[in-house]
Amino acid sequence: MWKSIVYKEWLKTRWFAIIYLLLSILAIANLFLKVQHDLTFNEAQKYWYMVVFQNLKYFKHGFFIVLPLLGALTIAVAQYFPETVSKRIKLSYHLPLNENKMLLTMMLYGTICILIISVVTFLLFVGLSFIWFPAEIVTGAAITIAPYFLSGFAVYFLTALMVLEPVWKYRFLYLIVAAIFVPVYFTRVVIGGYLPALPLLTVFTVILSISLLFSGYRFRKGEM
Amino acid sequence: MIIAIVGFSIALPRLYRMAFDKPVRAPFIQYSCIEKNFLIIRRSADGIKRETPQGKAFTRDEYEAALPFMYARQLLMDGTMPDSVNGVAIDVHECNNYRSSFRLKPKMIHAPQPVLFPMFESESGRARLELPKDYFRISWRMEFIDAKTNKVNEEKSRLFSAALYHCGFQFPARSIDGLPTTRKSCDEGYIVTDNKNQIFHLKMVKGEPFVNKVNIPSDMTFKTIQCVDNKDKLYYAFLVSSDNNLYVLTQDDYKLVKLEVNDINPDKYEIRIYGDFFNFNVITTGDNFTRSQILNREYKKVDEYSETWTPLEDSREGKIAQVLFPAQLAMTNSDSGYVNFFVSRSKSFGCLLLSLALVVLQFFIIRKRKNKVNHILDFCLVAFTGIFGFIAVNIFPNKFWD
Repeated sequence: MWKSIVYKEWLKTRWFAIIYLLLSILAIANLFLKVQHDLTFNEAQKYWYMVVFQNLKYFKHGFFIVLPLLGALTIAVAQYFPETVSKRIKLSYHLPLNENKMLLTMMLYGTICILIISVVTFLLFVGLSFIWFPAEIVTGAAITIAPYFLSGFAVYFLTALMVLEPVWKYRFLYLIVAAIFVPVYFTRVVIGGYLPALPLLTVFTVILSISLLFSGYRFRKGEM
Repeated sequence: MIIAIVGFSIALPRLYRMAFDKPVRAPFIQYSCIEKNFLIIRRSADGIKRETPQGKAFTRDEYEAALPFMYARQLLMDGTMPDSVNGVAIDVHECNNYRSSFRLKPKMIHAPQPVLFPMFESESGRARLELPKDYFRISWRMEFIDAKTNKVNEEKSRLFSAALYHCGFQFPARSIDGLPTTRKSCDEGYIVTDNKNQIFHLKMVKGEPFVNKVNIPSDMTFKTIQCVDNKDKLYYAFLVSSDNNLYVLTQDDYKLVKLEVNDINPDKYEIRIYGDFFNFNVITTGDNFTRSQILNREYKKVDEYSETWTPLEDSREGKIAQVLFPAQLAMTNSDSGYVNFFVSRSKSFGCLLLSLALVVLQFFIIRKRKNKVNHILDFCLVAFTGIFGFIAVNIFPNKFWD
């Protein structure tokens, strides 16, 4: 029975997930084309100088930075919006399965989906960076883009929370909370400066996942 | 809900500060060798005041005349530049060589430090410095990486690593300090601290490594080493030791000379050092004070002056903030270049009163609901986190246990 649930989720989100993955790969390719172009037009040592001493973020080209956020948003909407249309999630609740487990499975599916795409993108970025840059520069870049990927997860959980929430007043309040918390991931900082905040931020992102249970619970109890 | 509390503890104090913050303008203290007294510039909404600590006011012209080295250009233009000061004849061009300025903020130390550096050719025979084609790092050995190919230059790396090794360098380097820019008068290489806190002077002369070990007391460690490029070429760098003393490393004979100043804490204070023909002015500025210590050219203390003011925390707005918010969270900090969850807890007990009031209010809000006992957790949250918890608890209503 669980396999069918997972398959249902896949049916809802497959095109969006595939497009998100393809766009990520394209964004990375675009990014490194620019890096290679800039390295050819400026002398390589001047380009490195700008990265190491003048805080040039070579990954800020194109939409690479917002992609994890937008991708996670799309998957969350694709996954949970159909459930709210005509309150379809109640159909799932009427199945002979534990309701909490049902929600958790749906959430786990979405999380794993985003995780796979994020890991692939991140590894591709790091791997390609190593071609042109030494370990020190790549480490700095990796630390700086890590919060953007984390923001993807946070946005996924918060969007799911908002979409599943039946009452509009609370939807609005959740939106305010999201608007306050998500910019934390995008705090302006020099390369490598985000390091002390990362562990705690990861913990907070994980804690967010539990919040989803709130909305599903309230839907179940028929609050309109 | 925790996320909401965290989020609000960042956002609400920030909104409050944006609405109510007033700028704090520290007075700028200089020392006049003619008046043998301090001259202070105070900027405020009413304008600029120039006066001595005793309160004697100066006009702009009098002020500039009292500081001949700082305003030499203006005085020359006006034709009022003195020929001699304190009995010593002044040659304007020569005394320009003794002018220096140096500024260090805590944010510059508490930030990710670069680990890749360009090794300039210090005797290239050319008038201008050129950026080299490779960068070096010092980990288990010294490696030069060519920027174009991203590959290690083995021969050069081995040459320099051997030179360091023969001088007793313990890899890896703890810090590398220098001026990695072409905009300096000449290249003096880098001051490198090795794994055992020994200090070395490292540069490249005609392609060959030049390494010189600096003799320092064996238990001395430094909070920061800041290289300078001053016209008088008397010293390579300012060094601040872990016990907050200030030293210079003299040029060519590598002596560590202690300056007769104290409480130089680069972690907390902004440090500025201005040098001229007669004196050094070491200014430390903190949240609520600024202190100027004057030395003569032999680094011995001549005079000192300090001023305090009420910091933001103790001002009226700050005190209200301490009552409203049990803690304030910020992602950035003016003393640090890192991003972290910077927490500053409230120092007043007024916030506890506010928390209790909010708990009572919360009780009032839910008094109509059944089963109040289940809301104990909510009350605890409001009691601990004050206004943030109050808002969060009402956004995420606790119907979980209904």
